[in-house]
Amino acid sequence: MESDEDDFVFYGTPIEREDDVISRKKKAIAESSGQLRTLPAWKQEVRDDEGRRRFHGAFTGGYSAGYYNTVGSKEGWAPQSFKSSRKNRAEIKEQNILNFLDEDEKSELEGRFLGTTSQFDTFGFTAAEIARKQAETEQKQRPSVIPGPAPDEIVVPANESIGVKLLLKMGWSRGRTIKDSHSDALYDARRQARRAFLAFSSDDPKVKVSESESVQGDIENFPEEPVNDDAQISKSTPVYVLNPKQDLHGLGFDPYKHAPEFREKKRSRLANKGGLGFSRDSLFGLKSGKAAPGFGIGALEELDAEDEDVYATGYEFEDAYVQEVEEPSTLRLENPTKKEPKDQGDLPGFRVASNSDYKMERFEAPLIPKDFVPHHKFSGPLDLNRKSYEVTPPDTPPPEDGNLKLLIEGVANLVAKCGKLYEDLSREKNQSNPLFSFLSGGTGHEYYARKLWEAQQKHNDQTSQQLDGKMTPGLNKLTAESRGQILGEKPLEKSSQGPSSFVASTDIQLQFNLTDTFTKSTSVSELMNVEKPFKDDPAKQERFEQFLKEKYKGGLRSASSSLASDMSEAARAQERLSFEAAAEAIEKGRQGRGSKPLTPSAMDFIPGGVKQFTSGELEPKTNLQADDILRKKTYPKREEFQWRPSPLLCKRFDLIDPYMGKPPPAPRIRSKMDSLIFTSDSVKGIKMDDPVTSKKEISPLQQYTTEDITKNITENEPEGDVEVENIERPVDLYKAIFSDDSDDEGGDSGIGRVDNQEKKAEVANTALSRLIAGDFLESLGKELGIEVPPDMPYPTQKSKNIAPQKELVNEDTRIETLDSQNNEEISLNHDLRYGQHIAHEGGLSKGGTIHGNNRENSNVKTKGASTMSYKPGNHDYSSSSEEEKGRKRSSREKYDEHRKLKTPVTHRRDYSSSSSLEEEKSRKRSRHHRHKRRDAGSDSSSDDERRDRHSSRSKEKKGSSREKSRSEKHSKHRKHRKHESPDRHSRYSNEKDNSRSRSEKKRRE
Amino acid sequence: MSVEDLPRKEVNVLKGHEGAVLAARFNGDGNYCLSCGKDRTIRLWNPHRGIHIKTYKSHGREVRDVHVTPDNSKLCSCGGDRQIFYWDVATGRVIRKFRGHDGEVNGVKFNEYSSVVVSAGYDQSLRAWDCRSHSTEPIQIIDTFADSVMSICLTKTEIIGGSVDGTVRTFDIRIGREISDNLGQPVNCVSMSNDGNCILAGCLDSTLRLLDRSTGELLQEYKGHTNKSYKLDCCLTNTDAHVTGGSEDGYIYFWDLVDASVVSRFRAHTSVVTSVSYHPKENCMVTSSVDGTIRVWKT
Repeated sequence: MESDEDDFVFYGTPIEREDDVISRKKKAIAESSGQLRTLPAWKQEVRDDEGRRRFHGAFTGGYSAGYYNTVGSKEGWAPQSFKSSRKNRAEIKEQNILNFLDEDEKSELEGRFLGTTSQFDTFGFTAAEIARKQAETEQKQRPSVIPGPAPDEIVVPANESIGVKLLLKMGWSRGRTIKDSHSDALYDARRQARRAFLAFSSDDPKVKVSESESVQGDIENFPEEPVNDDAQISKSTPVYVLNPKQDLHGLGFDPYKHAPEFREKKRSRLANKGGLGFSRDSLFGLKSGKAAPGFGIGALEELDAEDEDVYATGYEFEDAYVQEVEEPSTLRLENPTKKEPKDQGDLPGFRVASNSDYKMERFEAPLIPKDFVPHHKFSGPLDLNRKSYEVTPPDTPPPEDGNLKLLIEGVANLVAKCGKLYEDLSREKNQSNPLFSFLSGGTGHEYYARKLWEAQQKHNDQTSQQLDGKMTPGLNKLTAESRGQILGEKPLEKSSQGPSSFVASTDIQLQFNLTDTFTKSTSVSELMNVEKPFKDDPAKQERFEQFLKEKYKGGLRSASSSLASDMSEAARAQERLSFEAAAEAIEKGRQGRGSKPLTPSAMDFIPGGVKQFTSGELEPKTNLQADDILRKKTYPKREEFQWRPSPLLCKRFDLIDPYMGKPPPAPRIRSKMDSLIFTSDSVKGIKMDDPVTSKKEISPLQQYTTEDITKNITENEPEGDVEVENIERPVDLYKAIFSDDSDDEGGDSGIGRVDNQEKKAEVANTALSRLIAGDFLESLGKELGIEVPPDMPYPTQKSKNIAPQKELVNEDTRIETLDSQNNEEISLNHDLRYGQHIAHEGGLSKGGTIHGNNRENSNVKTKGASTMSYKPGNHDYSSSSEEEKGRKRSSREKYDEHRKLKTPVTHRRDYSSSSSLEEEKSRKRSRHHRHKRRDAGSDSSSDDERRDRHSSRSKEKKGSSREKSRSEKHSKHRKHRKHESPDRHSRYSNEKDNSRSRSEKKRRE
Repeated sequence: MSVEDLPRKEVNVLKGHEGAVLAARFNGDGNYCLSCGKDRTIRLWNPHRGIHIKTYKSHGREVRDVHVTPDNSKLCSCGGDRQIFYWDVATGRVIRKFRGHDGEVNGVKFNEYSSVVVSAGYDQSLRAWDCRSHSTEPIQIIDTFADSVMSICLTKTEIIGGSVDGTVRTFDIRIGREISDNLGQPVNCVSMSNDGNCILAGCLDSTLRLLDRSTGELLQEYKGHTNKSYKLDCCLTNTDAHVTGGSEDGYIYFWDLVDASVVSRFRAHTSVVTSVSYHPKENCMVTSSVDGTIRVWKT
């Protein structure tokens, strides 16, 4: 504010009153004389030499820009109190200059307003304005009959504008357009174009004809153009046509409003009265006729090519209202009747309208030929040629040539099946081929005719059967074999070979291919004819056929689809499934080349079904083909896996994260990045070599493993939902790590801890891979009971580690209480994790982790020694461990060795030396691993210890032994798995285990 | 589209690269094209007028692939130096470099919003890099491939990569699935049909394979050209009526999409045709070759 004072701006001139000034001056003089100086400082006022107070505001306790500072109000710039405009937002006041003007200013403004002088008032606006004002003032002075201000339209400029004057001098007359239409080429072109357009859009052939000579016509019309021009008068200036009111209706009342027809009648009557020639003479005449008395309410008509309504449909009645009488009429196409005179072509300058009248077009029904029989016949259907051969051809001996005989028979069969059309086609096609001469009456024609007849007989039997819908197996049907026979193929020898071999499926494939080459029909009957997966059980086969029929028919399935009503619901469902599978398999087989392979797994679904597929001996020639097919069948091979996009990626792609809210990333995502972080340099060096070696193994293995796995999956069908569980569980895993542990801390001792610990560490690993941050590590370490700062002395760590061990037994015993199935799944899962973890520990894994069912990648890159893989079977623990006891033993020994190395004190050193981990980060990691490792080691060995502690628990022993076996297994696997192919299942089962321990945790809570 | 409409007439030869040109790509609207090559440069051309506009130099090794944003403001490129460069088109400066691939980078693509660069590398991984943040770490690493990833293709919701392990893998971000189509042959190049329903995969057994994306079915195989050792591009014409691709003998092939017959073939270059790119709207095509030239073809 103070600074404002410096550049204070004065607005306007100060108001000074003579007397004021004088008095103030006097006062100032008086004051300055000294009497006021005696006042105390705070009472003194500074005044200028005219006695006005010098300082306001800041010096006197409040700034005021009152009168002397010329704000204009006493309050000065008092802040306006806030007023919410929320409620009256709508009323935005329109400001105009008058709001800001004083009274005197307004009056002043009134006097002088800017306008053109009459001299230059080209368009007469100013004149009109002045005239209006004058009219206003006059009206004020003398009261008129009509109250209120005179309407603007009525007031017309009094004097000519200069522009008008000029135009008039140039020969322009009022009411005309300024535009010179004669010389305006553009105008003509436009007209022409429009006319052409009209002609195009019209149905009237007359117009079409005239269109071609439109140019000429235009030229001819030239003399008449002035008429046209006159017609444009109303365009340039509104012409006020007064339609005197001559009827007795009320103002604005239109008697014909809803009945325009009558208006027309009246008008025509009037026109007739007024004289025919009048209305027909010219456009002018027409117009004036319209304005003639009696019409009263007609609109001024102007029909010009320019204005012809292109879109006029003939329904123009709505437009035919009364125009307000006073209103200057606007251009309007009145109605079709008025066009009539034009239609007759007597109006010069006009041509016939394209769509003169709306006419409901009615077409006469086509004449039916007298010899028409209302019965439809399809050309070349099966029935037709059946009839054509009604006369049985004589039985003729087959031609000598065996090949020809075969050919004839084949063709005859096909023709019988596909109809006469086929015969015609093949005849046409093979015209030049002497082999096919029998078709057109050459050698063997008789035989062909006979064969054809036979085939048709046979076929008709069949079709009639089909029509009956009683598809009973065992009846005379065209099977693959019979067709093969017909076509002269070598009958495929049936062999009762085992099911599900690839060879078998390819054979089927071949058969289908053969059939496909000739007939492409996918009729149900054929399908059923060819495939009989349930031959051994006729009833079942029947049901299957029924099923197929329905399936291919589509639509709703009849409720009575189950022919075997004596079957139980479950059995029916089961059968249904197998049917589905079989149908699918058949379908796939039918698709032939390029289709997906008939995977054994798919066939496996059919219980006992595949066995029935025949496999024949292949001729060597077709073998090659089979190879090709096989190749094509195997590739492309589609697999689907779960894949977890990172949230950020989803965000960047503007998609919703499909895993939003779900737990930490699927382990597969863990890449070698992790292992890079967690393993030491030396280890990395080893690892680098791995891909090379392992990659070589991949390709052969790949195929094998995928198949393997699909099989496995099917075997474990009941567990199918496990996979799904995997996806959701990890949330709890996190909980398990971060929340639960604190409770566990003081708990009971336990060797079972091992697993748990491992699991946690493992999960932690995955978590780490996501948030690689020091402090996180620290907190994690705390959670896990591990000292994180690298410089911390080891002993404390150790002691801490022991404590948590104890509690786990407890957990493990509880595991047993879980229902067995669940339990197993889960534990498997755990194992897997463990395996992975170990891979890390060894520093050999590339960390490729695979998630989901069949991913081999994960372990592909891990070095054999450290790869862990487990079979996902439920019985793994008991059975496999027993089987492999021998191997186990050796591995056990090794393990013990390992344990020895890891005595508590030297623990760290040993580990680091073995893997030469020296980096800070890796040390941290290594501690984890070491820790876990040790636990793992100790758990198997410290059975006794456990027993001592927890002898009171009944289930404890069981648990520990179980535990033991597991750990043994771990060690075993560590050993011998290196020789095995990488097993994708590891990851899969791992997950299960994980979730198991988690659920167990929950239980505890 | 008839055979006459195929771009078979050479309109321009863009010369400037020293050494093999490894890729030539139209920009989004087809008015410009970008090329990159063994001379470690990326070049921007106006192929219709045959003008060289700009050269982008910064790569330390050969540049293998280049892609430009739909708004033509940014480039990304990759190559033998294991880095992905994120360029400003106008200034020609490198805005960012993404390091992380353990091997040469074979292909890069922007996503729809130009916010992510996805790269395919010899290290068997696909990596997604963030252009929005300043993070130097990839957003995501996809390393399910078993061998070098040769080519990459992005849709609005998917990342499609073709690898030497014979698979074309589609990573659907929206549903979180990976779909792997094993073709059994090393895949050199994947390109999408314009209707988005098919993938054309160029395989090293001198065959292009057309896959149905929804079913994984092999729709057609296109043969006749030679492609046994080079990474050659292939693509569909903008009408999806034909398939086109280069050959190692310098020929360009056009196949009918449906019946896989060779509709046209002609010698375009004196050496291996490394890359073909079809104009998004017109009947125009650019091809690049080891002979160091880029040729523009029109009807």
